[in-house]
Amino acid sequence: MAKTEEKTVPPVTLVDPIELSELDRDFREEIHNMPNGEELGACFACSTCTAACPIANSWDYKPHQLIRMILLGMREKVLASDEIWLCLTCFECQERCPQNVRVTDILFDCKNLAAEEGRIPPNVAELGKELVEQGQLYVITADWEREDLGLEPSLPGLQTEGVQNMLKESRTGRLLEEED
Amino acid sequence: MSDPVLVIGAGVAGLTVAVELADSGVETVLVDRETSVGGNALNLYKAFPTDDCFYCFESNRSRPGIRKCFYRSALLDQPNIDLRVDTEIEEIKGEPGSFEIRLKQGPQYVDSKKCTMCGACTKLSDAFSLLSPQCQPQSVIFNPEKEDEGSSKAEEECPTGAIDLNAESSETTLTASDIVIATGYQEMKPNQVDEYGYGQYSNVITQLELAKILDPNGPSHGALVRPSDGAQVRRLLMVQCVGSRDENYHPFCSKICCVFALKHANIIRRERNGTDVSVVYMDIRTYDRHERYYREAREAGVEFTRGRVSEVNPLEDGTLDITLYDSLLDKYFKTNVDLLVLSSALEPSTGMTKMIEELGLESASGYVSPANLLDTEVVAGDHVYACGGAIGPAEVPESVTQARAVASKILQERMR
Ligand SMILES: Cc1cc2nc3c(=O)[nH]c(=O)nc-3n(C[C@H](O)[C@H](O)[C@H](O)COP(=O)(O)OP(=O)(O)OC[C@H]3O[C@@H](n4cnc5c(N)ncnc54)[C@H](O)[C@@H]3O)c2cc1C
Ligand code: SF4
Ligand code: SF4
Ligand code: SF4
Ligand code: SF4
Repeated sequence: MAKTEEKTVPPVTLVDPIELSELDRDFREEIHNMPNGEELGACFACSTCTAACPIANSWDYKPHQLIRMILLGMREKVLASDEIWLCLTCFECQERCPQNVRVTDILFDCKNLAAEEGRIPPNVAELGKELVEQGQLYVITADWEREDLGLEPSLPGLQTEGVQNMLKESRTGRLLEEED
Repeated sequence: MSDPVLVIGAGVAGLTVAVELADSGVETVLVDRETSVGGNALNLYKAFPTDDCFYCFESNRSRPGIRKCFYRSALLDQPNIDLRVDTEIEEIKGEPGSFEIRLKQGPQYVDSKKCTMCGACTKLSDAFSLLSPQCQPQSVIFNPEKEDEGSSKAEEECPTGAIDLNAESSETTLTASDIVIATGYQEMKPNQVDEYGYGQYSNVITQLELAKILDPNGPSHGALVRPSDGAQVRRLLMVQCVGSRDENYHPFCSKICCVFALKHANIIRRERNGTDVSVVYMDIRTYDRHERYYREAREAGVEFTRGRVSEVNPLEDGTLDITLYDSLLDKYFKTNVDLLVLSSALEPSTGMTKMIEELGLESASGYVSPANLLDTEVVAGDHVYACGGAIGPAEVPESVTQARAVASKILQERMR
């Protein structure tokens, strides 16, 4: 009978796995310690949040995956993701989560961390600047709708300087300045 | 006077039937093929759902104030129980209501009634040992395969004259009115599921083996150490559904392995500081009130991955490199652990098929099936009952409840 060779090494596969020890294992704690993070660890990956989300269909990382990535310590991927900024902040996911994970709020936490690291998407930064400079996002102009309703073309007594000053002094102002 | 009831298997279920019947005045012959009673619950440390010690919980409820071991308190002092350990059923004949049973008992080298567990013999010869501090009857045992020069000296010097090295096995026959099958289950040895390397790498173990490591009465006194070299375990990975829910092995869900896996994970996280625990699963099935173990595990920082293990690679230093597929992220991960623990299927005890055939019963995946599915699950046939692990994987409280149902059925029959 032909001698079969002893199997000493497992078969080579084409899998290129992510080394768990190279992930940022403290990221979980970092989010957990933020104001909305207490129930982060309670997530049992049911994906109710993703089922509830009106927009995640087009995302590469769905809400339940983002939570899972946070738990695993995939800090870089999460904070660099577009998804945390694409979130509509509609709170559907958070409302429905059966384990009281504050999904939307945790995405806010992620945005805050990303922003601190200077990772604000240009369109969001643009909006921010607009806000700081104008004191409002949507400047009211004389348009037909106001006219149709019989309203004055501009909002009477609208003062935005105070808001502008406040925003400049705030974290938003600081972060946007760092952006430039 | 009626014939006694034969209870086969002295695990939690069989013990409960015997004690309940005996307390109600029914003579019971309680048989177990091992040298101690207790079955799978011997040496299990903490038990869900109470996290109480295994040895003294459940059946003591009706004996208020007794916090000592149920086995010890009830078994030997109850005159209606005829306990026979190290005993196998050779043959069952006769009619329902008067079964004729032939029993074969192994050689009783140490008379358990005389042994005081003084330990003199164990010092003289390796052939004498104590199975467990919880063993019942409380007695050392003798293994003839390890007989050495010290053995006969021990025989001579035993202060109570309990040892007889020339003992031989014996056969007895008896007539029994009813038969209770309480033969429990056994954990599958997952050697065949070759992706995990069980039986090949010593740091790949089963949950029952982990339970023994965690047991303060065990060889490591409860310290979480690697079987290969006794080194402290720093990272541990569990795999659920090994051989269960798998048409190649057992099609059924073993029902309690999720709960005891999480029980172990929580003990490790809470009481064995600094050890990381991950669980790889397909579904976590913590039925009924046991959901709390799942939540507690997540709170305690146990990590969960829905997916499967791709491969296990042993390294020189005794650790295992493991590649995992995470189906929720659709990604592969690699990690390194000291211990891989398999939640292996719970299968019927060896010999169950033969017993089911001999008694003309129905089988459900190898376990005893109820005679009438619409009626109670504990009636298996005419004057034949089954309870506990013998009718499928069950936790202790469930086994005890079924055992009480059996006792109640037998008492009702007798009162007719
Ligand atoms: C790792 C692990 C952890 C667990 N943890 C828990 C827990 O925390 N809480 C809980 O409630 N449950 C737990 N369980 C389940 C618990 O062990 C069982 O519910 C219980 O032991 C079932 O008891 P039983 O009497 O039905 O069967 P067994 O304990 O299996 O006893 C059967 C007895 O029958 C004997 N026997 C078998 N066949 C024969 C034969 N042909 N002739 C003579 N004797 C025979 C055996 O030797 C054995 O002593 C755990 C199980 C495992 C594997
Ligand atoms: S808050 Fe964001 S993630 Fe949550 S459902 Fe709405 S869009 Fe989706
Ligand atoms: S709904 Fe809640 S528990 Fe479910 S996956 Fe989303 S965050 Fe996790
Ligand atoms: S010497 Fe005798 S009494 Fe002492 S443990 Fe051994 S058998 Fe028991
Ligand atoms: S109890 Fe859990 S581990 Fe056991 S077979 Fe069922 S799902 Fe799998």
